[in-house]
Amino acid sequence: MNHLTEEELILNYYGEIDRADQPQIDDHLAGCDECRAASAELGRVLHLVETTPMLEARPGFERDVWARLEPQLEANTGGLVRRSAKREGGWRAWFAAPQWALASGVAALLVMAFVAGRFSGPAPVALAPAQAAVSPDRILHAAVGDHLDRSQMMLAELVNAGSDQPDVFAGEQSRAADLVSANRLFRQSAEQSGDAAIADILEDLERVLLEIANAPADVTSGERADLKSRIETEDLLFRVRVIASEMRQRTRTDREAGDRGKQRPPIS
Amino acid sequence: MQESDPHVVARARDGDREAFRALVERHSRYIFGLAQRMTGNAEDAEDVVQETWLKAHRQLSRFEARADFRTWLHRICVNCSIDLIRARRHREDAHDPADLEEGPLSERGSESQPMPDRLAASAQVGARVQEALTRLTSLERAAFTLRHVEGMSIEEVGVKLGLKTSATKHSIFRAVRKMRAALAPYVGANL
Repeated sequence: MNHLTEEELILNYYGEIDRADQPQIDDHLAGCDECRAASAELGRVLHLVETTPMLEARPGFERDVWARLEPQLEANTGGLVRRSAKREGGWRAWFAAPQWALASGVAALLVMAFVAGRFSGPAPVALAPAQAAVSPDRILHAAVGDHLDRSQMMLAELVNAGSDQPDVFAGEQSRAADLVSANRLFRQSAEQSGDAAIADILEDLERVLLEIANAPADVTSGERADLKSRIETEDLLFRVRVIASEMRQRTRTDREAGDRGKQRPPIS
Repeated sequence: MQESDPHVVARARDGDREAFRALVERHSRYIFGLAQRMTGNAEDAEDVVQETWLKAHRQLSRFEARADFRTWLHRICVNCSIDLIRARRHREDAHDPADLEEGPLSERGSESQPMPDRLAASAQVGARVQEALTRLTSLERAAFTLRHVEGMSIEEVGVKLGLKTSATKHSIFRAVRKMRAALAPYVGANL
C-alpha cells in the first residue's frame, strides 16, 4: 500500500474513514513509521487548536451587550427590532427580526414584481439597461431556490434531531412560522405561472411547515417522531433538495443567458 | 451565592427583565468566544452575540426547563453564526459558488504573518492559532469549527452549511492544511 494521503490522515483522525477501508488504514499505520509520525503530528496540531482558549471579550463586554440589547427587547416582543446603527447593511439585513421576516418581505416583493411582470404585459417605457438585465424569472428562481435551501436546512435539523432534543423542535418551530408566508406567496406564484412541479412541492412543504409552526408548546416526543416519520416517508426532504438544486441550475442558466431574456420551460 | 440558571431562566420567562439581564451578563462572554471562533472576527462575533440574545428572548417561552440553558444558547449561537456565513455567502457569491473559497475573507491578514522568531513562546501560540483561523475562508472556518470543535460529522456539517459532502470534505481538508502549515513550528513538525 502507498503511504496515506493527507486527506486519509485527516479522515482517520476524525474517525470518518469508510468502514470497509479502516482495517487497511490501521494496518498501514501499524507498519509504517512515516505515516504514523505524520498522523501523530496532525494530532498534535489539531490538539493545539482544540486546547487554545477562545478569544476573550473585552472588559465590560457584557455591559455593552445589555446596553445595546435592552432597547430592542420591547420591540423584539412585538416583532419589530431596530438594528444597531453601529454598522450598516450587509448580512445584518438577514438578522432583522423576526429572523426571516425581512427575507419573507423581500421575497414577497420579488414575487409581486415577478407576477406583475408576467401579467401586466410589456412595460410602457423602455427599461434602463441595468434594469433590463435582470429578468423576473431569474429573480424568482433565485428567491425560490433560497427559500427551499432554508426550508431544507430546517427540515434536516428536525429529522436529524434526537427524540431527547425538544429544544431543537422549539427552535425550528420559529423558523417554520417565518417560512410559511414566503412559501405561500411562492406557491401562488408558481401556480399562476404554471410551474406545476414547484407548486406541488411548495404545497406539500406548506402543509408540513404549518404543522410544525402550529404544534403546541408541549408537543410530545411521539408526536415529534410521527412528524419526522411523515417527512421521511413522503420523501419531502429529498424532493425539496431536488427542486432547490433545479432552481440553482436555473439561476445559473438564467445568469448565463443574461440579457437575452431567455424563458425556461417549467419543470415537468 | 449565585442563583442557578434554571431559577433565573424561570424568572426571565415570567417577564422579569432583570433576570434576563443576569443571563446576558452570565453567558455573553462564553457565546462571544464561540461566535468569534465561528466567524473569525470580533466585530461579527459581537453581532452574532446580539442576535443570539434576541432569538433567545423570542424563544424563551419554548425553552424546556429541564434542558441546559447554556447548551440551548450554544445551539442558537451556532445557528446564528451559520446564518451569517450563509447570508454572506449569498452576497459574496454573485457569480460562481466555487469562487467563495477565494473570497475576500481569505485575504484577511495575508500580509501580516508574523515571523516565528517574533512569537516568543507558549503565551503567543494561542494568538498564532487565532491568526491561523482568521486565514481560513468563511466556509473553511465554519466547516472546520463545526467538525473539529462542535464534533459534528462531515455529513452533518454539509447539511448545516448547505454543501455537498465532497465540498464539505474539501473545505475541511483545506482548513486543516492551512492550520498545519501555520502551526507546524509549534508542534515540532517537519512539513
